[in-house]
Amino acid sequence: MTPDSEATAEPRVALLSAERAPLTTRSYFEAGDPGPITASLAHVPELLEVALPFFGRALAGVTVDPRTAELVIVRASAVLGCSYCTLTHAAVALGSGVTPEEIRSLCDPDAAPQEAAADERERALLAWVDVVAAGHGEVPDDVAGPLMAAYDEATTVELLTMVGCTILLNRYCTTLRLPTGAASLATLAASGLQPSELAP
Amino acid sequence: MSAVAEAIEAGSIGGRLWLYSNYHCNLACSYCLTESAPGVERRELSPDRMLDLVREARDLGFTGIGITGGEPFLMPRMPELLAELSEILPVVVLSNGTLFTGARLVRMSALGSRDVQIQISLDRSEPVANDEMRGPENFAKVVEAIPRLVAAGIGVRIGSTLAWVDEADMARLCALHRSLGVGDEDHVVRGIVRRGRAKVEGLGEDAGIAELGPELTITADGAFWSPFGPTVTGGRLDTDLMVTRGTRPLAMAADALVGLVDGSSYAGPTDDRFT
Repeated sequence: MTPDSEATAEPRVALLSAERAPLTTRSYFEAGDPGPITASLAHVPELLEVALPFFGRALAGVTVDPRTAELVIVRASAVLGCSYCTLTHAAVALGSGVTPEEIRSLCDPDAAPQEAAADERERALLAWVDVVAAGHGEVPDDVAGPLMAAYDEATTVELLTMVGCTILLNRYCTTLRLPTGAASLATLAASGLQPSELAP
Repeated sequence: MSAVAEAIEAGSIGGRLWLYSNYHCNLACSYCLTESAPGVERRELSPDRMLDLVREARDLGFTGIGITGGEPFLMPRMPELLAELSEILPVVVLSNGTLFTGARLVRMSALGSRDVQIQISLDRSEPVANDEMRGPENFAKVVEAIPRLVAAGIGVRIGSTLAWVDEADMARLCALHRSLGVGDEDHVVRGIVRRGRAKVEGLGEDAGIAELGPELTITADGAFWSPFGPTVTGGRLDTDLMVTRGTRPLAMAADALVGLVDGSSYAGPTDDRFT
């Protein structure tokens, strides 16, 4: 199978419609198509009801500002090679103060993370995200130290939970081959960003 | 008293817990909700699992057990299991009535002294019309089996599933079940629900939570709103009437059902054809 055919392959589980959704998940479908993460998690209502609030809180940030949050999520998703999360959050990032050029840098897993950073603080953050998302074992002091010098303990916990949640969703969406929504692709196109230059 | 027990006592959910023992069947009826047939995926609940569920059901305040399928008596230990289950709660088991011969019939005799009722499907008063929906020789096997069960002292009910009631045939059917030893109080008539094979065949009427009473129903796939919920259409399990995927502990699934009933979406059954 070629990469292109993988990208257009069908999801590996049925994405439930409002008509097929279990009774205890119906509220998530009342406002229309809830997206493929909800439509797949609805197979297990008990997971859906705890996972969605967690995803929302962990990714939106409690005190972390929207730009910082999207830098973390897009970079971690690019490092993990998740097309769905990279493209979906690249579109969100455009509305959170991240420029198209910064997004191109974030989405290139071979590019040094500093290229998308606006200042020293973001450089420390993105270097740390690369190691946390792709690393194995201990996070070395020369990576963790600058991050913790730039952010307080509570924010460090928040950022780490944000990366962890992103990793979970990266593997979930990639393994199930969830399709990126048309609205996200349209937002990217309007800023001159093509999916093929951002994601595998 | 638990919220579940209160809901049962108030009549807001049914007191009978339904268990789908299995999905395979020796018949392939044209209106079958679960597309049951000999070769389908069995989706069994093990005897030990059913015993655990019934003990939990008793502790939660349920007042009876219903077992359905598939054909429950294709499960190897079903007569002995029914005896054990009935020591915990009264049991009704739905059957096509075609397997009560030979050694199985002998094993069934122990149920004569138990709180077990066998509800046998019989739709029409004569074999041609009945067997058209249910399969060859079904009528003959059923009318032979019922007197044997009655003679063994086993409680028997007749369940008739009909798209519409032909009054003349219904009168003959009632005369027939009386002659077999089953009284009018033990004759249950219900409509065809347009789900499963009935939906594929264009039979029956649509029914959702507005028409189906809430009766907690457990299968190998999860917990459902009613025994009409865990249907199979086109080989795929229908999940629209699922309540929870998990069923351990049973209290979790029962609480979720009560929560749905207490919510604004359900105002009580409006149609008694499917209850």
